[in-house]
Amino acid sequence: MADSAVFASNAEVNKGEHARMSSFIGAIAIADLVKTTLGPKGMDKILQSVNDGSITVTNDGATILKSVVVDNPAAKVLIDIAKTQDDEVGDGTTSVTVLCGELLREAEKLLAQKIHPMTVVDGWRLASSEARKALEASALDHSADEAAFREDLLSIARTTLSSKLLTHEKDYFAKLAVDAVMRVRDGGSLDAIQVLKMAGGSLKDSYLESGFILNKKIGVGQPHRVEGAKIMVANTAMDTDKIKIFGSKVRVDSLDKVAAIEHAEREKMRAKVQSIVDHGITVFINRQLIYNFAEELFADAGVMAIEHADFEGVERLASVTGAEIVSTFDHPEGTTLGTADLVEEIIIGEQRMLRFSGVKVGHACTIVLRGASSHVLEEAERSLHDALAVLLETVKTGPIVFGGGASEVLMAAAVDEAAKTVAGKKQLAMEAFARALRTLPGIVADNAGFDSADLVAQVRAAQAAGNIRAGIDVLTGAAGDMKELGIVEALKLKRAVLLSASEAAEMVIRCDDIVKAAPRAPENPHPHM
Amino acid sequence: MRAEAASNERFADKQKEGDVRSKNIVAAKAVADAIRTSLGPKGMDKMIETKDGEVLITNDGATIMSHMQVFHPTARMLVELSKAQDIEAGDGTTSVVVLCGSMLNQCQKLLSKGIHPTHITEAFQSAATKAEEVLDSVAIPVDLEDRPSLVQAATTSLASKVISAHSDVLAPLAVDAVLRVLDPAMPDNVDLDNIKVVKALGGTVEEAELIEGLVFPKRASHVASGPTRIAGAKIGLIQFCLSAPKTDMENTVVVSEYSAMDRVLDSERKHILKLCKAIKASGCNVLLVQKSILRDAAKMKIMVVTNVERDDIEFVSKTVGARPVAHIDHLTPRRLASAPREEVSTTRKRIVKITGVPKPCPTVCLLVRGSNKLVLDEAERSMHDALCVVRAIVKKRALIVGGGAPETEVALKLTEWANTLTGMSSVCTRAFAEALEVIPYTLAENAGLYPIHIVTELRKRHAEGCSTAGINVRSGCISDLLKEDVRQPLLVSTSAIALATETVRMILKVDDIVPVR
Repeated sequence: MADSAVFASNAEVNKGEHARMSSFIGAIAIADLVKTTLGPKGMDKILQSVNDGSITVTNDGATILKSVVVDNPAAKVLIDIAKTQDDEVGDGTTSVTVLCGELLREAEKLLAQKIHPMTVVDGWRLASSEARKALEASALDHSADEAAFREDLLSIARTTLSSKLLTHEKDYFAKLAVDAVMRVRDGGSLDAIQVLKMAGGSLKDSYLESGFILNKKIGVGQPHRVEGAKIMVANTAMDTDKIKIFGSKVRVDSLDKVAAIEHAEREKMRAKVQSIVDHGITVFINRQLIYNFAEELFADAGVMAIEHADFEGVERLASVTGAEIVSTFDHPEGTTLGTADLVEEIIIGEQRMLRFSGVKVGHACTIVLRGASSHVLEEAERSLHDALAVLLETVKTGPIVFGGGASEVLMAAAVDEAAKTVAGKKQLAMEAFARALRTLPGIVADNAGFDSADLVAQVRAAQAAGNIRAGIDVLTGAAGDMKELGIVEALKLKRAVLLSASEAAEMVIRCDDIVKAAPRAPENPHPHM
Repeated sequence: MRAEAASNERFADKQKEGDVRSKNIVAAKAVADAIRTSLGPKGMDKMIETKDGEVLITNDGATIMSHMQVFHPTARMLVELSKAQDIEAGDGTTSVVVLCGSMLNQCQKLLSKGIHPTHITEAFQSAATKAEEVLDSVAIPVDLEDRPSLVQAATTSLASKVISAHSDVLAPLAVDAVLRVLDPAMPDNVDLDNIKVVKALGGTVEEAELIEGLVFPKRASHVASGPTRIAGAKIGLIQFCLSAPKTDMENTVVVSEYSAMDRVLDSERKHILKLCKAIKASGCNVLLVQKSILRDAAKMKIMVVTNVERDDIEFVSKTVGARPVAHIDHLTPRRLASAPREEVSTTRKRIVKITGVPKPCPTVCLLVRGSNKLVLDEAERSMHDALCVVRAIVKKRALIVGGGAPETEVALKLTEWANTLTGMSSVCTRAFAEALEVIPYTLAENAGLYPIHIVTELRKRHAEGCSTAGINVRSGCISDLLKEDVRQPLLVSTSAIALATETVRMILKVDDIVPVR
């Protein structure tokens, strides 16, 4: 190649048509990968790790995309927008990827007609702002009316869950998720909602528990129920206070002296325990192990001591009980202790757990998930997480739009309408944008095993007749009223899907060159040319 | 063009939808077929050679599955399934896998008819709910006071195991053990951690016994010179070492001359002696040590049991009522478990028993014996199943008859129900009903009967209204099992159907296997 004089020997360059083609192929392949998971009747994927063969069964676009191995820059762009969508809104990761893929598919056709990429980009920008206007105009806001808003939230939760594993128990889980989110609505974050997975039982046995649950046992001989608990959360060595210099050693000349050292070590531990107890605590939770000797001392003092709590557990516990994580114990007055009205042992499934109820952050709650296997549980957790994230966003923002393809068809119609007034090739780009939008409901229908062309046409006709609530009812395979069916989604979600998909697609078609730096060759100084 | 090549490569890896689904089903069915022969009282056992060359003989589905090193993702799901059933009901781990395999078989037929997988999963889900209703309706409520019924259920569970010959001894033990640890505060659940199954090699399975107290399957240290039987024991539970002082910091004792060595040895002896004296002074005469041994205690008429596992400390402490002591200075009479009735004995069979512990004792020990290790291990697993069965009754106080009767009844009722439906759901429900008949079919097959003959006759009897007719494996015919007292807890059957359906739905919904990092 002619470039070989400019680039390092093993760097690669793709130019013009080739570069664009490889982008399209990569991006569309990624979109097609997750396409079948879209909608209430979407299918799942098994993700099998090539390293250890462990498997994950999932319907969550973000999870699939995060794990696949890709070596295509455009594909990576799609994966990135899915990740952003997951962080921002928590759901709609598949939709955003698929929409972006469809836009690129349309772009490929436009470029084949020798339309300049920049013209396409301009057309798309007009189209996406039209679509956004139409979407926002169709949004409803019930956040002032408590009862109606709760009904909205339940509908949103049901819609989100209906495309996931939990679909068969969606009414139950929708209520669970809404209850949990309503508790944290005032400035809370998802951190206050703990999801605990317990194998065994069936999904229906899941429930919402107020307070915080820690999967730990209480030390031997210590109280199993503490009321009005004062909690200290610590990260300190309760085996021995070792000198942290490797190979520190003492030399003595008799065993008595060894005994003396042993005694001194014990006394040091005793003093440490005493200083901890002197804080006036009744519950002590340590991130590290508590050895027998210290455990016994705590038992003597009537303190409930819990050892080896996992990192996440400790952090959460500290935040919900309002405690600070401490590691020195010399200044009781400067230490913030956590409080809980009641700390007790409960049995979930076959396991004993500790429940902290009446904690300082009053809205903290735990959703206990039960399910047949770890695959079911993990997928259930992912689904629930999506629902919770969307609900929390809705609680914060408010407006809702109709799902089931209603919004997409509505936006497409608005874009088509606007396209008529635009002169020049941009019009073609706008029409292509509308087509891409309409593909989404089509895929939902395809996945459910219906005739997508017919269904989408039915919905278009119904909307053209003035019923903007018309959408696809995947249960009956006909056009239906989305309001009556309770299929609604958060405005924020739909808007994020629209905007990030069009931005990402735009980014991909603007590129006409792919330069791959030579692997691990830091001295390759040549920028993109 | 590497980018293109890479994406093409992935295309090659990606298996196509229908193909993937049928491969998944085939893999899962293969697993189900592998353990089908162990179902039922006449089921066969499997001999498993584990990675490290140990041999394991078992009839327990969960155990077989957990040792099968399957790689295919859906086959792994079945392994998980049997684990889940083990957690939920503790028994029926083979049935649940066989049931799942049979449902998948039906799914394959439905798929080949061109029915969309989501239709199948929905129909199966509602069929499973309906099945549960049917099971509830044929269940016989049971009272925990009704000991014979409980024993019957445990016996049914043990019937398929190696040790079935001794079920008349073991079943009552399991029932008594669970009833003993039943916490009145939580009448709907039992913490099986409060029952410790102790294995001791030697003797026969019949010699199993229930001990209110503690059993250690090991000899007390230095029996020869120490006491072997102590009445009115005062038990100390210690967690510190009875040895020369140990510091956490690394230490070196510098010995520079010969006489110094003597001094060191001497002081070591003195140190240990001091510890022993302190123990003696506390009035303790039975010592349970978590850590290493004590050389001189035997001379002081103290019985010592060493190497108590740290995990067992809580159990021991709960049982005898002694708080563990981690430092010699804390060993005070107050800390000892002392009751005049307590008695510790050790026999030549190398076990230490502690009996007569204070009431109310929340824990019990089940001592299981067996002539060789394989039998012993299997006996322990069977005992676990039996305990779980009794617990399942505590959780859901109802029994149903066994012998394939409930499955046939559900199949019949579902077929009737399917006749009232139309469209896909009717076809799928009928397939679901047919899948359930795999249980009586396999039971008959494993017992060497004519499965088709048996299953059709069962259907006829149930259609005539005898909902308790089932396969009497002993006599090889159909009879009313209610009279034969073949009963099992309702929970085992309901959870098997619910869990198997959940797994089938999951497998059906998968349309792609994606290799990831």
